[in-house]
Amino acid sequence: MGMKKYRGIEKKQARWGFLFVVPSLLFFSLFSFYPIINAFYTSFFDKRALSKAPPAFLGLGNYIRLFDPNRAASELSFLNSLRATLVFTVGTFVPLLIISLLLAVFISNLGSRKAKKFLQIAYYTPAILSSVVAATIWMIIFDPRGLGNQWVNALMNTPGVDHRWLVDPVMEQVSTMVIYFWKYIGYFVILFITGLASIPPTIYEAATIDGAGKGQVFWRITLPLLKPTVVLVSVMAMLQCLKTFSTQYMLYTNGAPRAPINVITFNIYITGIQQQYLGRASAMSVVLFILMLMLTLLQFKTTKSEQVEY
Amino acid sequence: MQISKKISVNNIVVWIVLAVMLLFTLTPIIFMISASMMERNQIMRMPFSWIPESFNSENFIKAVAGNDQTFIFVRNLSNSLFVSITVAITTVLIASLTGYGLAKFRFRGRNTIFIMIMATMMIPFEAIMIPLYMVVMMLRIQNTYTGLILPFLVSAFGVFQMRQYLTTFPTEFLDAARVDGMGEFGIYWRIVLPNCMPVIATLSILSFRSQWDNLLWPLLVSQSEKMKTIPQYISSFALERNTDEGAMMAAALLASIPMFVLFMSLTKYFIGGSAVYESRKG
Repeated sequence: MGMKKYRGIEKKQARWGFLFVVPSLLFFSLFSFYPIINAFYTSFFDKRALSKAPPAFLGLGNYIRLFDPNRAASELSFLNSLRATLVFTVGTFVPLLIISLLLAVFISNLGSRKAKKFLQIAYYTPAILSSVVAATIWMIIFDPRGLGNQWVNALMNTPGVDHRWLVDPVMEQVSTMVIYFWKYIGYFVILFITGLASIPPTIYEAATIDGAGKGQVFWRITLPLLKPTVVLVSVMAMLQCLKTFSTQYMLYTNGAPRAPINVITFNIYITGIQQQYLGRASAMSVVLFILMLMLTLLQFKTTKSEQVEY
Repeated sequence: MQISKKISVNNIVVWIVLAVMLLFTLTPIIFMISASMMERNQIMRMPFSWIPESFNSENFIKAVAGNDQTFIFVRNLSNSLFVSITVAITTVLIASLTGYGLAKFRFRGRNTIFIMIMATMMIPFEAIMIPLYMVVMMLRIQNTYTGLILPFLVSAFGVFQMRQYLTTFPTEFLDAARVDGMGEFGIYWRIVLPNCMPVIATLSILSFRSQWDNLLWPLLVSQSEKMKTIPQYISSFALERNTDEGAMMAAALLASIPMFVLFMSLTKYFIGGSAVYESRKG
């Protein structure tokens, strides 16, 4: 009797639990799983937005076109986008990682709590501005008469030189990296400070008693113990960089040349939305998805095998 | 103690690096603020003087009225506020409901559902925006709030955070409420939700700012001036030839005020541990 009643309650409970989960289940099915499946499906067709006729099946045609080496020279080619994305990602995430780690170690070792807090907040402030605002500020700084030239010329003692921040193909890529670096540096400093705080201070004390120098402590103790955070932060930074869009969009719409900064997301936008080649844009989306998926899986694999016990 | 207070060469290097970085992060923001008050010829003067000669209110009038005097800025700002606040609310509600269901109830397929939701974190928005755009066209919801909001109703990261938080929630409270005859939904609404305030704060800030910062999706959905959001306004305002730099900085500053206010009043939720993980739809 009692058992039966208990099972009844449990069943009712199970029903409520499922009911609570249903809204999310519906949402993610409709707005995550369906679209990604649809992207794969559409990438095999020559789908264009305006044509009413059913799209022609291309098989791998869209992908072959994307990776066609004969098109690589074209400024709108996907191979160029892969290059632009790779250059941007490496050029942004490597300085981000190294400098944010350095700053985090410096800040963590400060004696004054107030200074620690102040620096974290100050470094983080650019992150609260939207990407569009960040790009707008820097576009004025990078104006030929702007602060960018004034600073660099004062530092390098090259008065009156215009560094063509938004015109020269190489400088333009550097500019996007500077903007991105500026916006995200504080965010990664805080991630590292959190990681550093989780290392028990007794380990440092033991090392110092054993006579280890500051450099030794960093390379032999801090860095290995921080490895999970380093892996996490680098993958997050890379994923973030692969998704960059607003900075490149702002620079391009304000007259900067397109090819050097035609990153994958920007190419998807132009191809799919402005030119309405939905099939081709879907193929690009699938490549982007696979790239990011591989990175994420790599992160899982590394963090799983690198669990550190203190 | 004496040893650590000793000023060494190392310390000086550390302070120089930290100070240079401080200059680098803060000067562009100070530049935005002081340029927003300047006349055009003062902004582009070499060398740049940081103190405005006089407060030039014309910049702010231009930023709000627009070059064509339509005051569409006000509408675009309200659109952004409405979308961001709505997304923050729906994310908190749906994520907490789901997180509660996954954390405190046993039912068939619970783990599968949780893993499925977590798996969606690996699907970046940028990779599904084309299919989502086709859905919007099919449903004819371009240029509507529904179109702007629908793909962001809840985030997998939100569900994850809520579930983690609620797993440690004492089950005795829930059972006591059940004995008192409270309904299951009432328990969620009156006991579970009010007790998740730290996560709710973190999650709503995260959702709010990801929409406040969103340029890509509104570009796909909103073509009419009335339905554009504030990032779109700033990008097209910067584009217009006759816009001067002072007015651009005034618009940028005005658009940043809501985030500045949030940041100043809720700093710990921005800086504190979990708040720094961005949601997938950034």
